[in-house]
Amino acid sequence: MQKELVKETMIEEERKQNGILEISTSILKWIAKNLKFLFVPASRIEDLTIREINYEMNRSKRKFVRRFKSVLTILGILLVFFIATLAVFPHWISPYTFAEVIDIYFNAWGAPSPEHIFGRTKFGRDVLSRIIFGARTSLTVALPAITFSVVFGVMIGVIAAYYGGWVDAVIMRIIDVFLAFPSLILALVFIAVLGEIFGTGPRIDYIMLAWGILGIPYYSRLIRGNVLQAKELPYIQAARVSGAGNSRIMFRHILPNVIQPIIISVTFDIGGVILSLAGLSFLGFSDYRMIDWGNEISIGRPFLYIAPWASLWPGLFILLSVLGFMLLGDGLRDALDPRLKNL
Amino acid sequence: MKQALGLNDPMYVQYFRYLGDILVGNWGKSYSIARGMPVWDLILLKLPRTADIALFAIIIAAAVGIKTGVVSAANRNKAKDTFFRGITLVGVALPVFFLGMLLQYTLGYLIRIDDVAIFPTTGFKTITYEDPPTITGFRIIDALFSGQFYMITDYLYHLILPVFCLAFISLASIVRQTRSSMLEVLQQDYIRTARAKGCKEKDVINTHAKKNAMIPTVTIIGLGFGSLLTGAVLTETTFGLAGMGELLILSIRNSDYWVLNGLVFFFAIVFISINLITDVIYGILDPRIRY
Repeated sequence: MQKELVKETMIEEERKQNGILEISTSILKWIAKNLKFLFVPASRIEDLTIREINYEMNRSKRKFVRRFKSVLTILGILLVFFIATLAVFPHWISPYTFAEVIDIYFNAWGAPSPEHIFGRTKFGRDVLSRIIFGARTSLTVALPAITFSVVFGVMIGVIAAYYGGWVDAVIMRIIDVFLAFPSLILALVFIAVLGEIFGTGPRIDYIMLAWGILGIPYYSRLIRGNVLQAKELPYIQAARVSGAGNSRIMFRHILPNVIQPIIISVTFDIGGVILSLAGLSFLGFSDYRMIDWGNEISIGRPFLYIAPWASLWPGLFILLSVLGFMLLGDGLRDALDPRLKNL
Repeated sequence: MKQALGLNDPMYVQYFRYLGDILVGNWGKSYSIARGMPVWDLILLKLPRTADIALFAIIIAAAVGIKTGVVSAANRNKAKDTFFRGITLVGVALPVFFLGMLLQYTLGYLIRIDDVAIFPTTGFKTITYEDPPTITGFRIIDALFSGQFYMITDYLYHLILPVFCLAFISLASIVRQTRSSMLEVLQQDYIRTARAKGCKEKDVINTHAKKNAMIPTVTIIGLGFGSLLTGAVLTETTFGLAGMGELLILSIRNSDYWVLNGLVFFFAIVFISINLITDVIYGILDPRIRY
């Protein structure tokens, strides 16, 4: 009797130990088996059923962030981040202070050296520091100009499309007039005329205003088509039935549903404005109180063969910043609008 | 003075007089650039210079761009495609004057054969050569008429760098558009039918897909003409070609109102006519489109 009891307890203990071992081994096995799930995308594991694989693939495609993760997009984000950092903290990053950068020295157009990595430009100023200070000017002009054109362009476009009839006709004809001119040429004339009227020459506010106004037609056109489609949908009728006013329907109900292409277009256009702005200041229409990449190039251009660094480095930075915004725009479009993935 | 200029008349009379003058070709006279010279003559004098680079650039960009876009779409996501996409991506973001100066510095200065740079960097011709007598104003055609064939090669040689710059910039958007519309067309049912019939891949792409993919590309080329004119202004300044762009900037600098007015008007006319031509080409490419 006692023996049996002892035997039973022993067996039980053994079983317990075995059980613990079994459980622990099974846990370990489970971990080892599922460890790959942590590192391998679920869609690639063959253990899953086909249905699960399909689900996982769709799920991963649907995820915004996952779609956003292409090499080029990340490169774009890094470039934009880089340029923005230069623009926000130029005083910390640049090797020379602002006062030193606008001072006059001997040794103009000096070759690159350890003190001046990118060489020296007119009056012996450091090229690298001037590039770093120039980043701020680019963004300072591009961002307000884009904001201006988006706000007014979207408002005008939505109003034109929503009311239709003669309002639409008048607004669109005016916009057609703007679209009939090549934009840089119109901007040149605009800035020159404003400078002439106020007798100040080209100034940064006129440049901003010019690009802001010239951007309006594109956004109006872009959003008008979308609003024309959206205003026929049932939810607009529902909103009207429930007593919403015109402006509420326009800006609370329609606008959030059609804003997506605008967001994509804005990222592209920041790059475009930086590019056109550089062209403008390359032609000599820039604010002379500001340090500006395009202006640096136009200063350095006559000395291209003596001091290529003075004009080629700023050009490279224009290229980098525009490329950054374009890549970001590409990535955004792919992520927000999967139908256009091919582009 | 006011009486002579008709400034005492009511506004609408002045406006219609202005419109009538424009239609007749009386675009006013230059005030400070070339004093007393009619604006129309001034524009006609400078137009061939710009037209040379703009036309060459648009032809080259369209030909090369469409070809590249089709090849890129046909080899989707392969090494060739990635390479072309990378180049076009840079091309979209590249400032035309930066490219121009880079080429000027490398090909026009740094790389030398027998201590002579490969390409000339500024101007339309070698300075010591005489221009052929003016017949049409387009120098290449003039040289052809007067039989000075060495001048033609000289002009073309000077045009290589500017035209390359301008074409490269317009090329990028054309390639992107062609590629994306080709990819869209290649997913259509009739392409699958053609492949199932046993067409060669070359025939599928060149005869079935290409023409249908051309419509968005034509739009881009037409719309891109505006940026081409813009680019022409910048290219002219970079390479020191005395064309319309230079005239525009001179007229702004010297506040030559009539020249500026005429030039902007002229640019607008060119831009609108190009858009009209684009619409006509639509009709040819796709007979279903009717206005």
